[in-house]
Amino acid sequence: MIPLSRWFQSKLFRSYLFQFPLIWLLVKAGNAYTAAWGGVPPLAFRPFTEVACCAIELFILWVFIRRNNEDILLGNLGLPWTVVLLPLVPIHFILSAVVALA
Amino acid sequence: MIEPLLAADSIDFSVKDRMILRSAYVDAVPGTITALVGRSGSGKTTVFWILVGLRRPQGGQVRWAGERVERPRLADLARRGLAFGPDRPFLNPGLSTTDHLRMIDEEPSGAESHEWFGRPTGTLSGGEQRLSELAVLLACRPKVLVLDEPFRGLAPAVRDSIAGTLRRAATAGVAVLYADHDVEQVKNTADRLYSMESGMTRRVEGFRERPLAEWYHAWPQ
Repeated sequence: MIPLSRWFQSKLFRSYLFQFPLIWLLVKAGNAYTAAWGGVPPLAFRPFTEVACCAIELFILWVFIRRNNEDILLGNLGLPWTVVLLPLVPIHFILSAVVALA
Repeated sequence: MIEPLLAADSIDFSVKDRMILRSAYVDAVPGTITALVGRSGSGKTTVFWILVGLRRPQGGQVRWAGERVERPRLADLARRGLAFGPDRPFLNPGLSTTDHLRMIDEEPSGAESHEWFGRPTGTLSGGEQRLSELAVLLACRPKVLVLDEPFRGLAPAVRDSIAGTLRRAATAGVAVLYADHDVEQVKNTADRLYSMESGMTRRVEGFRERPLAEWYHAWPQ
């Protein structure tokens, strides 16, 4: 496996860091819409909802990765999907918390 | 005789009621180039995907250095020394070959470097992409290199370049295994040969000397 320090500095990981907030934005918009429709604060931080939304966002990103066959590239680098996706989880919660507090 | 480093043994694979692989066997031996030859749809890609852990078979096993690998996954096998090139582009189209190489080596110093290594791989021709993929796989310093149709759709000069690269890798001790449906290419490139038809494999000895009709498309239906 390539050293994690090199993976986190790579342009490929940075491209995922760029894509993930865009996916977060789309899912957040959908979540806010359904929350408003249900009569609850649309941008509030609800832990169980955030966990579900985060899982959906990671799934969407993984679909994009697989569509480009990059899962094979990552496999060849010795990187399982957990190493690729889990570092993105804090980004979801930080963004959601910031929006909820704003 | 040198033992295979990677082998798929007695692989059965079916989708719904359709048998794709029937007790298929293929292996990769250090220092040699092994080809798996067969028509399109004979099951070559499926057996490779099972071999590298991208599909789960219903029966059979994958062995590394003679030992069964439980639930093989590409990332785990790559850490042991496997590199796999599928029959489709797998590099990030927005990044250059050099960007990919830098993930593996901080200062890439491959024997072969081309001017297009600095361009995004999505802008490269088919041959340039294939050579870039091969450069990335070899930068991983594999013990086993598995390639699915590495020569398909390429100009003769690029084919020669890839064949030369595979030969140098094998000479350095890498176990090379690749799939192809071009028998002439196989005769010029491979040391060992498996023939595949309707999901079954068989080893072919003396494939350079024997007439094609004796071993290719000569399966009992």
